[in-house]
Amino acid sequence: MRLKNYLFVLFLSFNLIGFSSLGAVETSDDMLDEFEEEMVIEEKYDPLSGYNRVMTSFNDTLWVHFFTPVTNGYNAVVNEDIRTSIDNVFNNLYFPVRLVNNIFQVKFVNASEETGRFLINSTVGVLGLFDPAKSKFDLQEHKEDFGQTLGFYGVGSGPHIVLPLFGPSNLRDTIGIIPDSYLSIIDYKKRGWFTLTDAWDEFLAIKLYEKTNNFSLDNDKYERIKENAVDLYPYLRDMYEQYRDNQIKE
Amino acid sequence: MKKVFKNIVLILSMFIFTQNILANEQIDLKEHFLKKIDKIVLVVESDTLSKSQRNNEIINILEPTFDFELMAKLSLGKIWKTISNENKKRFVKLYVQRMKDSYSSKVDGYGGEKVEVTKINQVKSNRIALITDLVSDDKTLEIIYKFYKPKKAKLDKDLWLIYDAEISGVSILKTDKAQFREFLKTKSISELMDAFSKKS
Repeated sequence: MRLKNYLFVLFLSFNLIGFSSLGAVETSDDMLDEFEEEMVIEEKYDPLSGYNRVMTSFNDTLWVHFFTPVTNGYNAVVNEDIRTSIDNVFNNLYFPVRLVNNIFQVKFVNASEETGRFLINSTVGVLGLFDPAKSKFDLQEHKEDFGQTLGFYGVGSGPHIVLPLFGPSNLRDTIGIIPDSYLSIIDYKKRGWFTLTDAWDEFLAIKLYEKTNNFSLDNDKYERIKENAVDLYPYLRDMYEQYRDNQIKE
Repeated sequence: MKKVFKNIVLILSMFIFTQNILANEQIDLKEHFLKKIDKIVLVVESDTLSKSQRNNEIINILEPTFDFELMAKLSLGKIWKTISNENKKRFVKLYVQRMKDSYSSKVDGYGGEKVEVTKINQVKSNRIALITDLVSDDKTLEIIYKFYKPKKAKLDKDLWLIYDAEISGVSILKTDKAQFREFLKTKSISELMDAFSKKS
């Protein structure tokens, strides 16, 4: 090694000893660069960030000051087993959404597993109140929605959109709600076939109840997630986008 | 001719030998990791410790496995190199504390889940990812622990160190990096650090 290089390394090591509390000498800047490539996060086009920030704090208030106290009360009155069963019923009702989207993504094994789950849980599981398909037959759930189907065929996420009540989403996933609604028995429009809800207000009421019940099963989850946020909007936004990318990859 | 053959055998055996080392390295890491988890579960389930004692014990077990300082540096990305040494020092200290607090509070939610290593990925000679499932009665959560091997083993640290974890595809480090970058667009590094200390 030439003297100049040697001196440079020496200088660098001293610097590192200087700022690292435990004196981690070998974490040189070269090594940081190596990680830098791995940790690249592209800055996404975010034209709605102004609105999104407002909606994030609206949802935050809703979750912290409405859902948390309401579910605390709800939990005190309704037994956990009952709440789990209600969640199972809702889940079972969304079977057509999962079936069709699994098929769209050529996941036929998953689609047949979903069908098996629906048949077992609707009958032996008493209209979906229980989940014997998983506990007795080891049939796993394969959640797929139309947003994932679009992603599967290479459609990009588009700009991030925070939805009221439902939270983080993006253009692709928001558009995906429409085809999924045709397959859902809980819908916001009057259809030519049987649906549990026929209008926006009925739809919202049921959705709100579904959300509340689901929230009640792990009602400090949001607080746990939020704990590490210094800037809530980009924090939740990036978590959501990474989460969805991962779901699409699977 | 014989010489060529000999060389081929030599190269081949060296290849097999290095492959073996890599495989052993992965298995060693997996075993070591699972042992750590067992230790933590023992601490969590013991009734004799107070909450703060318990948290301290857990941090003592985890500390040699995690490179919290590297995480602190990486979370700032390119900004790291631009801040003063004094701020670097303070930032690392606060970030490490924040990580530890976060782990301690996660442990509060522990309800008998089991950890299973489902796959081991080695992308480079000095990077191993343990893909694990956190299995509870009704749910399975995929957590990927990313390890790197420093060129020179660190004092009081394991050979392989965790520098990031991905929970259902969400990287802790990337999420932090994104929110810090956004925060620092309009605010200063000292405001970021104030936000840390306010939380703890």
